[in-house]
Amino acid sequence: MNKTLKIVFMSALILAIGARPALSAGNLLIKNGTILTVTKGVIVKGDILVLNGIIRQIGSNIAAPDGVKVIDASGKYVIPGIIDSHTHIALAGTNEGSEAITPEADVGAVINADDTAILTALSGGVTMVHTMHGSANPIGGPNVVLKMRWGKPSEDLLVPEALRTLKFALGENVKQSSRTIVPGGPPPRYPQTRMGTNAIIRREMLKAKAYMEEWDRYNKLKGSKTPPANLVPPRRDLRMEVLSDLLRGKMVARCHDYQATEALEFMELAKEFGFKVQCFEHAWEAYKIADELAAAKIGLSVFADSWAYKMEAAEGIAYMAGYCAKKGVLVSINSDSSERIRRLFNDAGKTMKYGGLSETEALSLVTINPAIQLGVDKIVGSLEVGKQGDIAVFNEHPMSAYARCDLTVIDGDVYFDRAQYLKEREDAAKQAQAPKKGGRP
Amino acid sequence: MRIRHHLYLFPLIAALFCLSLTATADVSPTYAIRNAKIVPVSGPAIEKGILIIRNGLIEAVGPVDKVKIPEDAEIIEAEGLIAYPGLISAHTNVLLDDPASRPAETPPGAPDVLAGGNVQGQPASSADLMAFKILKPKKATLDGLLRAGITTVLIAPNRGIIQGQSVVVDLNGENPSLMVVKNPAALHINFTTNRGGYPSSLMGTIAYLRQSFLDTEHYAACLALYAKNPKGMKRPGYDPFLEALVPYLKDKKPVVFQCNNLEDVKRALKIIDEFKLNALLSHANEAWRDAAILKKAAIPLLVTLDFRPPSGSMYIAQGEDLRKKAEAEIYPANASNLAKDGIKFALTSFGLSDGSVFLKNVQAAIKAGLPKEEALKALTIQPALYLGLSAQLGSLEPGKIANVILTRGELFDDKTQVEKVFVDGILWKF
Repeated sequence: MNKTLKIVFMSALILAIGARPALSAGNLLIKNGTILTVTKGVIVKGDILVLNGIIRQIGSNIAAPDGVKVIDASGKYVIPGIIDSHTHIALAGTNEGSEAITPEADVGAVINADDTAILTALSGGVTMVHTMHGSANPIGGPNVVLKMRWGKPSEDLLVPEALRTLKFALGENVKQSSRTIVPGGPPPRYPQTRMGTNAIIRREMLKAKAYMEEWDRYNKLKGSKTPPANLVPPRRDLRMEVLSDLLRGKMVARCHDYQATEALEFMELAKEFGFKVQCFEHAWEAYKIADELAAAKIGLSVFADSWAYKMEAAEGIAYMAGYCAKKGVLVSINSDSSERIRRLFNDAGKTMKYGGLSETEALSLVTINPAIQLGVDKIVGSLEVGKQGDIAVFNEHPMSAYARCDLTVIDGDVYFDRAQYLKEREDAAKQAQAPKKGGRP
Repeated sequence: MRIRHHLYLFPLIAALFCLSLTATADVSPTYAIRNAKIVPVSGPAIEKGILIIRNGLIEAVGPVDKVKIPEDAEIIEAEGLIAYPGLISAHTNVLLDDPASRPAETPPGAPDVLAGGNVQGQPASSADLMAFKILKPKKATLDGLLRAGITTVLIAPNRGIIQGQSVVVDLNGENPSLMVVKNPAALHINFTTNRGGYPSSLMGTIAYLRQSFLDTEHYAACLALYAKNPKGMKRPGYDPFLEALVPYLKDKKPVVFQCNNLEDVKRALKIIDEFKLNALLSHANEAWRDAAILKKAAIPLLVTLDFRPPSGSMYIAQGEDLRKKAEAEIYPANASNLAKDGIKFALTSFGLSDGSVFLKNVQAAIKAGLPKEEALKALTIQPALYLGLSAQLGSLEPGKIANVILTRGELFDDKTQVEKVFVDGILWKF
């Protein structure tokens, strides 16, 4: 080789090495997969490029920029990360069950980033969850939306773009119908009936209105030219402040219910006080009021099956999710569990057989629909340029009964890689079997 | 040797006897500890020194050729022994009267029946409970602590969420009034729940704590307004719980948060920031998991030598083998990791059953990488500073309280024995 040419070649090489960033976080190219965008159709043998956590390009034959990790998805299906609209994982405690009205009890204060259910969720392609206060109380508490960033500190799991939601619950759980009253034990808690549940929620809303008015009066007097000498500020009440936020439209209601009648009554309450019901949860009789829900733009976050596990779920039907979706209700399939969370795609697939939804419609129930319900559809829920790089790769079409999640990506970082996990497991088993140094064989 | 020793101490015993009868501290004898190696902690060690104790205080410390032994002093020959300041455990629950025997208190005001509550449990707040009032010193416990070299402890009530107010005592006998160094020392808060009542969940506890401080703010504001201009204003109702909280919120007296895991540390920091509290973080045996936030917050840490992983920890969730490994290898390195990250802390015996476990665990922390001199500081000048007692305690300097231990062998070494202990200048009899 000519000496000058050699120098030029070498310096180019050195420059190239110098300019090459290390395999940095948030950058990923997934190649040659069948891309199910959910909102923009299907791309066969497509590529998807994520840079700095954001999807930058979707198409064919995308070249990997320097330093970007490439994953071959030949023969696989690439979908948006699955979103669970209703679960209780990654929390230190679910219910403030001592009292009936506890909107001050915020699950955001007890996020548990060490919960291994996060790993379980990742193994099923779940990248985001709405983790909620339990259903022990008519008014439970605020919920949070988390990304499943396993290994990150709790505050880094939060999704700040999400809607603020407040948990309500109706029916058997809150009237404690399955609780045995023991002589000498704790007295039964009010409410004990569905009418009592409605009444106590209504009473709290009236209290919240009075609370808001009290503060308005105080602020007006304080701001006046001659405020009274002994003007005492009202007591700040965390309970009432959360309800005030709901009444001011800064939060939306997510209401656990089963029977159609109690749902309709709750909708009347929402109309009376002017707060927004974002979704009914579980709502096994929602098919009876699908038109009313669609007209009121109230969504549903429900199970795919396994109804009739208690009296108030007795009139549930297999066709519920699919039927309501076809009626124009925004439906999502939820897990409500740290175990079902790994097979939400299976549950969504059931609506194809029971309800006749298309593949894309069924997949929407665990991707774009929950994203809309949580107010995060601008950033996740489908594979579109500009959205966050939350992606799951499946061996089969995710609506197939044989589907299995192989890879889960959040913000362009791999959080679950089935092949790697299996290898690590094998290595650990080998290590455990190997005779210990200095120990007996 | 032994007999001579006892005869020699006879006047002292007599003096102590008188002391306990008259309950005055001004007759304690004068001692000259001679020929000991002296580790003052506040400065370099003195290879062969003399330490004079008079009237419960350190009168002089220095090399043998610099300090004159007063004529009235009883000489303690300490050739081959090392003198250290008495150790301070800045958070304990020792010497308390059986908590179960305390009568249940009910919060003021009639319960709101329609609130939908079925509140049955204890009240969550014992803000007005003073540890001093439930002290019950026992010789056996005192012996155990003193044998481990601990001469000063902070004693906090140990039940509920807002647990009450602690007291700092010198372990100089069994008369609480003569023991007190500082009372009240701090308000104590634990991230626990109120079984059977409100709050029954951790998220409820956090709301309850925030509401309590908000209520205190409101209460104090109303009282201040009323004090200024009572005429024409309805007097505010009296609330003993809120009344007890006012100095901690308004006058910034110290509040100790018991942080049972890393998340508790973050929860405490949020509340401290919201209400601008003058706070200390106790327990904190998972502090190593996020040194960055602690460095940023710069809040005094009272780190326990209890190495048990917190309940609900992933080390417990994954079986007994991992739990044991964590307790033996991971958690003992907490202090050394903090030291490496340049974070200051005091060590405490909080949660440990007795003095021997305490010593064993200090050794484990040292084995895990904590420099011995850091361990010593974390049990002497560091806690003295955090408790606002730097002028009185924490080092061997003239004018400070005469809490002195004499050891054979270096403190925290395997076979080292604490041979003599002076508390408030009084030689303790094991």
